Amino acid sequence: MSTPIIHFDHATFGFPGVIALEDISLEVQSGEFVGVIGPNGSGKTTLCRAVLGLITPLKGHLRIFDCACDELHCHHRAKIGYLPQKGVVDRNFPVTVLETVTMGRYGALGLFTRPSGKDRTIALEALAHVEMEEHRDSALGHLSGGQQQRVFIARALAQQPKVLLLDEPTTGLDMTTQHNVVELVRSLHKELGLTVLLITHDINMIRSHVDRLALLKTRLYAVGPPADVLKPEILSQVYGKNLVTTERDNIIVQDYHHHHH
Amino acid sequence: MLDLLTYDFIQRSLLAAALVGALCSTIGVFVVLRGLAFMGAGTAHAAFAGVALGYLMNWPPLLMAIFFGLATVWITGWVEEKGRMKLDVSIGILYTATMALAILFISLMKTYNAEVYGYLFGNVLAVTNEELRTIAGLSIVVIGAIVLFSKELYFIAFDQEMAEASGVPARRIFFLLLTLVALTVVLSLKTVGAILVFAMILIPASTAYQLTHSLLTLTWYSVLIGITSSVGGVLISSYWDIPSGPAIVLLATLLFFIAVLLSPKRQRRALAGN
Repeated sequence: MSTPIIHFDHATFGFPGVIALEDISLEVQSGEFVGVIGPNGSGKTTLCRAVLGLITPLKGHLRIFDCACDELHCHHRAKIGYLPQKGVVDRNFPVTVLETVTMGRYGALGLFTRPSGKDRTIALEALAHVEMEEHRDSALGHLSGGQQQRVFIARALAQQPKVLLLDEPTTGLDMTTQHNVVELVRSLHKELGLTVLLITHDINMIRSHVDRLALLKTRLYAVGPPADVLKPEILSQVYGKNLVTTERDNIIVQDYHHHHH
Repeated sequence: MLDLLTYDFIQRSLLAAALVGALCSTIGVFVVLRGLAFMGAGTAHAAFAGVALGYLMNWPPLLMAIFFGLATVWITGWVEEKGRMKLDVSIGILYTATMALAILFISLMKTYNAEVYGYLFGNVLAVTNEELRTIAGLSIVVIGAIVLFSKELYFIAFDQEMAEASGVPARRIFFLLLTLVALTVVLSLKTVGAILVFAMILIPASTAYQLTHSLLTLTWYSVLIGITSSVGGVLISSYWDIPSGPAIVLLATLLFFIAVLLSPKRQRRALAGN
């Protein structure tokens, strides 16, 4: 097997005394679609920050693109297209869709270089991938939540990344839009051959799309094909009594339903 | 009114006002978008404490103002980054503490010093040739830095975390922005004064914010509004013999309310409400 694109090797993250992730070992191969699931506070966002090279392990090692993360320079970060957890976009923030997507070019361009016609072309192509070209001159704040999410995915694509890292991409969207966003991610994974790391608490939304699932709660409880991970005896180690499995095999985690309604 | 323009001191003050107006309104775009409005106000008061200490100790007041201003923005920037304290709390503490220092320094002076109050309220009509040169020189430095790093500054104003994640050295750019804010505040002390400088940073950008959805257009509108209100303010103040600082700020405020009334964003909200 080739060198993994992301390689956690017994890596522990956090502050001394506060461990957010402990003894993580995970290899993600180029072109894989891996879903990371786990309850609130399980360290999912810390995992994101680690992959982005924003934090270094307290113990163990993390290599991304075969590069230790404390050596990760800015141009490496540009190879990871990141969709942060959906913040509230100020509806009046004066930025157009194309301006937002073009920002994805800035990291790769480096300081002192202005976006050229080529960068504009890349940004427009990214918008085409998410089917938002006709909105290029719209104000970002005027779009719906799902459309904004598409624009942010386009911004990540404009980085021409090797990895797409998505932190809770479906939170705060209605059911249909959630489906559309996951479908979009799946088609980008296939068409562009992107390695995708998708972090979510919504197990049912991604179970049929991913190659492998990683079950996280500070430690990694299981990694493998969805069918191997989504077993009641494994899930209950993480979710405990909150776990309900219905007849149609849908997995319901009670505390999340509680949060969302 | 035209014969006013033949006076040397009017020409000087118009030039100083135009420079300060352009400078404040440019940096103001990033201050408003990055949500650093309160930090600008805090910096102005800290810089004034520096001026007061300078006069008390017979040290160069502008240098002391730069020192106090930079110390304030760097400390608050560091506190925000560490997430130790809410930004408005840390600025609020530094803001009032530096104001207390300023009052203390002034009270320790044996004699009444009118020049110190000049920095508090500003008097653009009293700007000397030497001060004009300093303002022009530092304006070029600050605006040059903004132009050079504009794409990074826009990005961190929009979303610093996203900027950092996509490979922009966001932390360093944030501290650059803070440094530029401090320099701008110090430069503007003599013309609009410590109390009102903050208005010149905040109001033109906020006015432009009402009028457009594009970052670039916003910046140009802001600069245009900044220069218009500062030059217009100086003309009004010399024609009607009223203080220049309030004239500039009140004219800017008037433009702001007109923009709010005409704002396409406001009309959009009104439509959405129906």
